[in-house]
Amino acid sequence: MAGYLLRRVAQALAVVLFVTVIVFILLHQLPGGPARAVLGNRATPLEITQFNQDNGLDRPVPVQYLVYLRHWLTGDFGFSYKLNQPVGALLAQRLPKTLVLNALALVLTIAVAVPVGIYQAVRRNRLFDYVATTLAFICYAAPTFYLGLILVLVFAQKLNVLPPEAPQSDGVVPIFADFRGMILPIVTLALLGIAGFSRYMRSAVLDNLTQDYVRTARSKGCSSSRVLSRHVLRNALIPIATLIGLSLPALFAGALVTESIFNFPGMGLLFWQAAQTSDYPVELGVVLVTAVATVLGNLLADLSYALLDPRVRYA
Amino acid sequence: MSVNPIDLATEQLAPQHEIALPAGRPRGAFRAGAAVFVQNRLAVAGLAVVVLLVLFCFGGPLVYHTNQVDVNLANATLPPGAGHPLGTDETGYDELGRLMVGGRASLTIGFAAALIATLVGTLWGAVSGFFGGLVDAVMMRVVDALLAIPILFLLLYLVTIVRPSVTVMIVVLGLTAWLIPARLVRGESLTLRMREYVQAVRMMGGSSWRSVLRHILPNVAGTVIVNATFQVADAILLIAYLGYLGLGISPPATDWGGMLSKGTNFIFPNYWWLIYPAGILIVLVVVAVNFVGDGLRDAVEVRLRRR
Amino acid sequence: MALLEIRDLSTDITLRRTVVHALDRVSLEVSAGQTLGIVGESGCGKTMTAMSIERLLPPGGQIVGGSVRFDGRELTALPEREMCEVRGGEIGMIFQDPATSLNAVQPVGSQVAEPLRLHRGVSRAQARTQVIDMFARVGIPSPARRYDDYPHQLSGGQRQRVMIAMALICHPKLLIADEPTTALDVTIQKQVLELIDDLRAEIGMAVILVTHDLGVIAGSADRVAVMYAGRIVETAGAVELFANPRHRYTEALFAALPDRVAGTAQRLYSIPGLPPDLTDPPSACRFAPRCRHAVARCRTETPDLSGDHHAFACFVPRPAGPAAPVASAVPAAGARAVGEAGWVAPTTYVPADGTALLSVSDLAKDFPVRTGLIAQRNAGAVSAVAGVTFRLDRGEAVGLVGESGCGKTTLARLIVGLEQPSRGEILFRGRRVDRLRGTARRLERRHVQLMFQDSYASLDPRMRVRAILREPLEIQGVGTSRDRDRRVDELLDAVGLPRRSAERYPHEFSGGQRQRIGLARALALQPGLIVADEPVSALDVSVQAQILNLMKDLQQDRELSYLFISHDLAVVRYLTDRIAVMYLGRIVETGPSAAVYSAPWHPYTKGLIDAIPVADPVQEAAKPRAAVPGEPPSALNPPSGCRFRTRCPRAQDLCAEQEPPLANPIGPASRLVACHFPLTSSASATVGDTSDERDMT
Repeated sequence: MAGYLLRRVAQALAVVLFVTVIVFILLHQLPGGPARAVLGNRATPLEITQFNQDNGLDRPVPVQYLVYLRHWLTGDFGFSYKLNQPVGALLAQRLPKTLVLNALALVLTIAVAVPVGIYQAVRRNRLFDYVATTLAFICYAAPTFYLGLILVLVFAQKLNVLPPEAPQSDGVVPIFADFRGMILPIVTLALLGIAGFSRYMRSAVLDNLTQDYVRTARSKGCSSSRVLSRHVLRNALIPIATLIGLSLPALFAGALVTESIFNFPGMGLLFWQAAQTSDYPVELGVVLVTAVATVLGNLLADLSYALLDPRVRYA
Repeated sequence: MSVNPIDLATEQLAPQHEIALPAGRPRGAFRAGAAVFVQNRLAVAGLAVVVLLVLFCFGGPLVYHTNQVDVNLANATLPPGAGHPLGTDETGYDELGRLMVGGRASLTIGFAAALIATLVGTLWGAVSGFFGGLVDAVMMRVVDALLAIPILFLLLYLVTIVRPSVTVMIVVLGLTAWLIPARLVRGESLTLRMREYVQAVRMMGGSSWRSVLRHILPNVAGTVIVNATFQVADAILLIAYLGYLGLGISPPATDWGGMLSKGTNFIFPNYWWLIYPAGILIVLVVVAVNFVGDGLRDAVEVRLRRR
Repeated sequence: MALLEIRDLSTDITLRRTVVHALDRVSLEVSAGQTLGIVGESGCGKTMTAMSIERLLPPGGQIVGGSVRFDGRELTALPEREMCEVRGGEIGMIFQDPATSLNAVQPVGSQVAEPLRLHRGVSRAQARTQVIDMFARVGIPSPARRYDDYPHQLSGGQRQRVMIAMALICHPKLLIADEPTTALDVTIQKQVLELIDDLRAEIGMAVILVTHDLGVIAGSADRVAVMYAGRIVETAGAVELFANPRHRYTEALFAALPDRVAGTAQRLYSIPGLPPDLTDPPSACRFAPRCRHAVARCRTETPDLSGDHHAFACFVPRPAGPAAPVASAVPAAGARAVGEAGWVAPTTYVPADGTALLSVSDLAKDFPVRTGLIAQRNAGAVSAVAGVTFRLDRGEAVGLVGESGCGKTTLARLIVGLEQPSRGEILFRGRRVDRLRGTARRLERRHVQLMFQDSYASLDPRMRVRAILREPLEIQGVGTSRDRDRRVDELLDAVGLPRRSAERYPHEFSGGQRQRIGLARALALQPGLIVADEPVSALDVSVQAQILNLMKDLQQDRELSYLFISHDLAVVRYLTDRIAVMYLGRIVETGPSAAVYSAPWHPYTKGLIDAIPVADPVQEAAKPRAAVPGEPPSALNPPSGCRFRTRCPRAQDLCAEQEPPLANPIGPASRLVACHFPLTSSASATVGDTSDERDMT
């Protein structure tokens, strides 16, 4: 297993490296060059030259890349002239909030999708199965913002039980103080995941129920519920770790939309606002951080899969 | 082996020597698959819905004329009534006509982007899986890296650089969506390379090109087609997201996502005719395309089914 | 009062649109301490019978009639909760494939302990002790350490022992074994069957042994029930059944066994046609359409089982009395009308000038083993083939025999050109073929073709048969398009398939038919040598017979040579002139088939022959106990000197120091053996040989 782990880590590092290259390329696609794009159209030639010097843009391209790499490794993501703050500080402020939102949504997703999927498999082709499948399809097909809007309509407007806006505070801890405001964003973000995961659980449990080892378990005298809880679930749940890793990009994307609906001051909202004001350093900084977070998440997921599956652990 | 004639005199009947082939005429691969598809009612319903929507968006304006260019503020935000079955929006455009305009954009971009994504992705994956080794490792790390960046972020960034028109959207979407088909095709071709019928070609003296063209590609075609349909659904959704975030197509053109985006401004006054129709249509087309994709997947599987 | 009484059991399986009547009024009996064998071909319902006893039916399956009385209780009427107590507690079951039948993510110890905790209410610590004891009893080495292992860390034989331990841990009254040894090597199979037998005697339980292998039945069963198309067609004591089969299907089955006709020039009897479709079973004798003795009554009425000790359901049974030689009913080889298929050119480029057709010298293939973290260093190599030398002459059929891991498949792939040798030479008609490149290599491919084991995997599912058969001709650029089409028709005729088959897809054919297509493809380029890699292993006995007959006919018509690879010595013996036995990458013995089979020189060959079940209870009873103990050593680290010495009852110190060369100790040069102490008749004091040496003639 050690071999597998080290190989995965090496792969992840390679991917992160490629991500930095991609972001670097993106930076240079900016119209008019990075300097003008960042400083704005009214920048004077002197400011532009100064900017180029500060950021090493007057050097050959490979050297530029190395300069950028060094900046990024030391946490310097540039400066946002629109918001007048270093990008790094903005990210440090917003990232934890988004991570908390994503984590809570993920917890909700697993907590709902796993039992629903299992129940669908056990009561296959009955009413619950059909209803759940239809709901899953709709949640999958409806854009997140649409579902969010409907939720706001129903719960915030008509029923008036939950606030339509998320807590605006700065830190992470105050989020939990005013938790009612988080409920709708978390549910909105989780809906897409619930649809996907419940479909997966359903088909995984169904697949496992037809396997030989289930027949063996039944021949030993296990009741149906014991077969399910002690045998099938152990097998069906192992790949969930990998699935969680695979769903991270979608989770971040969903966070973007959710934050914009509920005005939650996380990284997604930051990105959107930056996109609307053409604040490129911020955009690129967010892209980079999100990508790295996704790669790390995938790595963690793969590692836990290796731990959970004895076939990999004791290869 | 010849068949003994039936000798009635001795009452002894001969065993049947003929090798029994399955009854019925030989079915072409396409017809066998089509037969399974047709049996899946959801898939057929999905196909019907898609066809209807296409007719609605592209054929509708031929029978239902509205003015989608000139702004008419006097008629803004009228509820459904005479002359406007679904009311008007905030610039006075007829809503039903607007849905057709939006649908044309959404559907065109969706299908075209899926086509580009599938072509590019299949090529990338086939080359990567075929060459293997270092080439494969590098090509796949590139795919991994691009996959790590949430598509929405990448799209938003690209869209802020170039002005969004239908063609641009198609290209941009296609170029971000090719990653999944690439992964799929590469995985499939790696598996297929180990199959015995591919090795048999080598044994008969055939070249690698023959293996790839005649054996690997036809056998991945099924998966690729299934995936392409899901790409269509994803593309339509992505356009909706972009439109909602205000970075979609610029007026007077629009797409369903943009219509939803504008609609959100009218939640409080409760102008339902501006909020629900576009959303329902998006959900409808995505669900329908997903059903078609599921049906295609079953149809492709039947050809691989053992006796 | 029998322990288990099944009366008129009928089981249906409801699929989406059809209902399969899997069992039709099956009646059986087993008494305590007895072994009942249920034998039949695939689809006959034997597995369904076994599953119906414990009500372990697949989704959609249900018992629709009859009764199953076990120990006085009616099992079909029990509520599910009580049924769960019977399962595992009073009836134990083992299945065919231990790899998939065990839960891959749970340690084997706790899996075996589960029935104890469920039915006997013991604590975890007590269960652990009992499980370890059971592991020792079933012959698992280092039982205490194995308790926490996972299934993938054990070998196939050990996994099956774990299954046996799991089924017997609660000392059930009945053990149901569904094809328990089909997935195992022959020598391991013998060990496992003996284990089951010993435990049966020890615990005093009844055993139901379900299998398609008549040899296994002959060696292990007291009573036998033969099933066909969901019904029992004959039951009798084992000795009586094999000596005196009455039902025509049983007779035909025996006649299809290679055992029965090996050594004579007779053809195997092959049962034409296919079993009936059980969604719409005929209300007549189900075997009638395929029976050469059927009369009109057989096609209109259903025969019932009649007789008590030896019962059969046939209107035209075989006359009572010892089995007459089957040969009289079947025309001898070569008696077919030659002009039927039209003239086909034999392989003209192989003149009989004494040059060996295929000559392999010191051939070796190493597969590097990679370990290491990022860079995956090479950590040694596995020599799948470790220095093999043999020759094959024109018109010969040579059999290559060995168990899994011996390297025979790798050797086949080397000869055919799918792998490059690490060492050694391959000569075809005196020309080196292993170092060719480019066009020369492509042209050389015409001479040697491969017939694959898995017919399903070796045919492209997207291509019609016509395209599959044309492909070799297209690759080699043989003939015009019309020539190729004609050739396709020719090939289909040669393998006995109707010409219409050319328009079909592989999945529309049965396993035996697909093997014919594979054979046709191998013939397309008119090769001089066909390497057949386990071509009949996956087929039923009656279908196997068809393919073997076909191959024998083609060999005569076309002056073909075969390298026939199999683990089944009986099949090899039937088809081949010479045999080579492989063990762990080396050839240990070679010689004429009949001689090697009747008087093997190498202890491994002898153990192999002893282990192979023969369809004759008298012979089986007289065989010594498993002469090849233990498991094959790891190929990564083969034993020094003679590779077989760790399992050889005759091993001496010399065997560990020096590797025995393949040489001839006495007698004709055509027999070679690689052993320091071979079993030649001149070798007197057999040191260390504990088994009873009986006269093997």
